[in-house]
Amino acid sequence: MNRRMNLWGLLFGAGFGFVLAGAQLHEYDTIHAMLRLDEPDVFLLMGAAIATSLPLLWVLERRRVRTLYGGTLTLSRSRPQRHHVVGGALFGTGWAVAGTCPAPSLAMVSSGAVLGLVAIAGLFAGLHLRDVHVRRAPADSDGEHRALPVPVAAR
Amino acid sequence: MDVLPDRIAWYVAGPALGLLVVGLFLVANQPLGASGAYVQTAKVIRREPDAVVWRAWYFVGIFVGGLIATILGAGFELRSGYDALRVVWPLGVVIGVVAVGAVVMGYGARMAGGCTSGHGICGTAQRSPASWVTTISFMGTAVLVTFVLRLVTGGDL
Repeated sequence: MNRRMNLWGLLFGAGFGFVLAGAQLHEYDTIHAMLRLDEPDVFLLMGAAIATSLPLLWVLERRRVRTLYGGTLTLSRSRPQRHHVVGGALFGTGWAVAGTCPAPSLAMVSSGAVLGLVAIAGLFAGLHLRDVHVRRAPADSDGEHRALPVPVAAR
Repeated sequence: MDVLPDRIAWYVAGPALGLLVVGLFLVANQPLGASGAYVQTAKVIRREPDAVVWRAWYFVGIFVGGLIATILGAGFELRSGYDALRVVWPLGVVIGVVAVGAVVMGYGARMAGGCTSGHGICGTAQRSPASWVTTISFMGTAVLVTFVLRLVTGGDL
């Protein structure tokens, strides 16, 4: 399974990077214009992504669909806690200043923009700093890689 | 090569992204988050035994996909990027600003357990209350901080 999953990983990453760069989300100017509320495109893009995936995931979970490598499809729904609010606020601050976020900064570099390397290095440092600062596994990661099966706290 | 338009419209890119999210759930039962991929890639580099190797391939894939879109679009060209910032500040300051912003962003993403893709799209699509709260928090803060940046730079940014 491992080798095949590596290939799936590469393919999903490539699809993701393709869409991000194709929609110009890897450009500082696009993100800055969004956060200045000059143009609604990126908000609409995120909204359309959620509007597409939310109902599909809902139905797939209800039907207890078997996934290829991860057992029965399960969604995780954690209760909001203080670290979500504070972490989100810190993330939002950095996002506004650096004008990019973790995935678009990778596509930024492969589009030829060298300063994206500074963003990537900073992200690695910041993620690591948090792990050094708090010596325990981060709780309730509905957005990061998760251990399966998933605990569902707030269903 | 100008095969792609200058910018794929939101109503095409958004649903495409949504289908990728659903697709990764169908294959691996995992969210399409990016900050977690950084964490796993760092683990792979440090050769930690619990590293999730396919996340590192996924990390590499984002580079590859970005490169393909660039080649099919405007074409690959080495440049600095951050054009709007470089008009306002000299290169050294821009590097410092981007670095500090990225460190704060990484710290916050790890604290919240996800970023724009992880919480903002995959978590909200899972109807996770924690992800909705995180997303509202970073969206609101980012708009506010952008407004403050605009004031501080006298409207240049």
